[in-house]
Amino acid sequence: MLLEQVEYVRPETVGDALEILASDDGAAPLAGGQSLVNVLKNRVASVDVLVDISRLAELSSIARTADGGLSIGACVTYDALDRSPEVRASHWILGDVAGHIEDQQIRNKGTIGGNCCLSDPTNNLPPILVALGAVMELRSRSGERSVPAADFFKGYFATALEPGELLVSITVPPMPEHSGAGYASLAVGADAKALVRAAARVTLDEGGTTIAESCLVLARVAHVPVRDAEAEARLSGADATEEAVRAACAGVADGMQPIADVHGSSEYRRQMAKVMARRAVVQAIAAARGSRNGSTAGGK
Amino acid sequence: MGERGTSHSVTVEVNGEKVSRIVAARQLLVHFLRDTLGLTGTHIGCDTGNCGACSVIVDGKLVKSCMILAPQVDGSTIETVESLAQDGALSPLQESFHEHHGLQCGYCTPGMLMSATYLLRQNPEPTDEEIRRGIRGNVCRCTGYVNIVEAIREASRGQATGRRSAHAAAGEEV
Repeated sequence: MLLEQVEYVRPETVGDALEILASDDGAAPLAGGQSLVNVLKNRVASVDVLVDISRLAELSSIARTADGGLSIGACVTYDALDRSPEVRASHWILGDVAGHIEDQQIRNKGTIGGNCCLSDPTNNLPPILVALGAVMELRSRSGERSVPAADFFKGYFATALEPGELLVSITVPPMPEHSGAGYASLAVGADAKALVRAAARVTLDEGGTTIAESCLVLARVAHVPVRDAEAEARLSGADATEEAVRAACAGVADGMQPIADVHGSSEYRRQMAKVMARRAVVQAIAAARGSRNGSTAGGK
Repeated sequence: MGERGTSHSVTVEVNGEKVSRIVAARQLLVHFLRDTLGLTGTHIGCDTGNCGACSVIVDGKLVKSCMILAPQVDGSTIETVESLAQDGALSPLQESFHEHHGLQCGYCTPGMLMSATYLLRQNPEPTDEEIRRGIRGNVCRCTGYVNIVEAIREASRGQATGRRSAHAAAGEEV
């Protein structure tokens, strides 16, 4: 397919990229391109100059932070996340989620930054990043700022990024002690786009029998990942058993108006959100106890 | 900084041969391969990144060439389906697709072969589930995939033990 006429440039530093993005309204960063190239083909958006940031070394590394968390460059691919021993060591779930995005070809090109900045409600990474308490590190010609993932996703294809601003990295805090994360999706076919997702992080008490604290995030219920604060409150202090989690998750999404589309009605999504939430929390408890077997704890 | 513009000089190594061309910034890699270089072994199916017929290997990574712009691969090493056969002899994987009837119309085959080539490099003895995940990005509307999975599985066994080629060379039944 013939794209609209477009300019292309491959800056050698992040600073050069920011300069172009700031000086040209029609400039857009090109990372993995696994969505943007289709957008250009369909002429949904018009871009004057594509700023190829995919080869910038500064944006492509995964580093351990001083406190034991992760700093993940915006251009780290899903496949790199999946295969990273650093990611697997401290945030196993993040590698697992990335490793089940679509197919190998897309995982070899698609990037964590692109997945977030597109803010497509079907994207896999936003809900788990919100659940893990990740922070988006943004940079522009005039400075830097940090935005919690929970505040970054603003709507359907909309984020907190201002014109001229670039997501350079994502900071994922270390998992507290006795903590684990889970992720469950309702999808037709393995690794397919999901109708509903839930991501959960729980912290157990010292003995591992009670849920001390939790973060429960639903995706595809609204246009952005949303926390279910009421369910979190019910989970706090609950027994870390499947029965107790089932009871706490029975009211998940009850106060919400899930979106309805050709894939599912609002009521169907509400019911399935309860199931996905329970599965994600149960997985998170198992992970917190260190009983994951390496292949199933994270789910898809 | 690389020059900004609507046309770019692209130098790549394709199937062992170094080539340089001036391309439009908006040209897709699949069109660069097929139209500019005349390597029509790489097919283009959906043109939306769904079917995988255009899969090639760039710098050791399996990618869909309809989802990449030609200037993005400047300086890269590219392998297409044309690289698999050596001096007219099919690769073990191609031979296995032939033996196990891993195709009907053949449209998806170049992409399937490249995905399977990549898979077997990463994982020389994949399970059937790993094979199915490895070709998840490649759509076949003829075979129902069963023979394709079988072809890849048998090729992996042949590669792992070297039996196929050794026996074939000796003229024995495999």
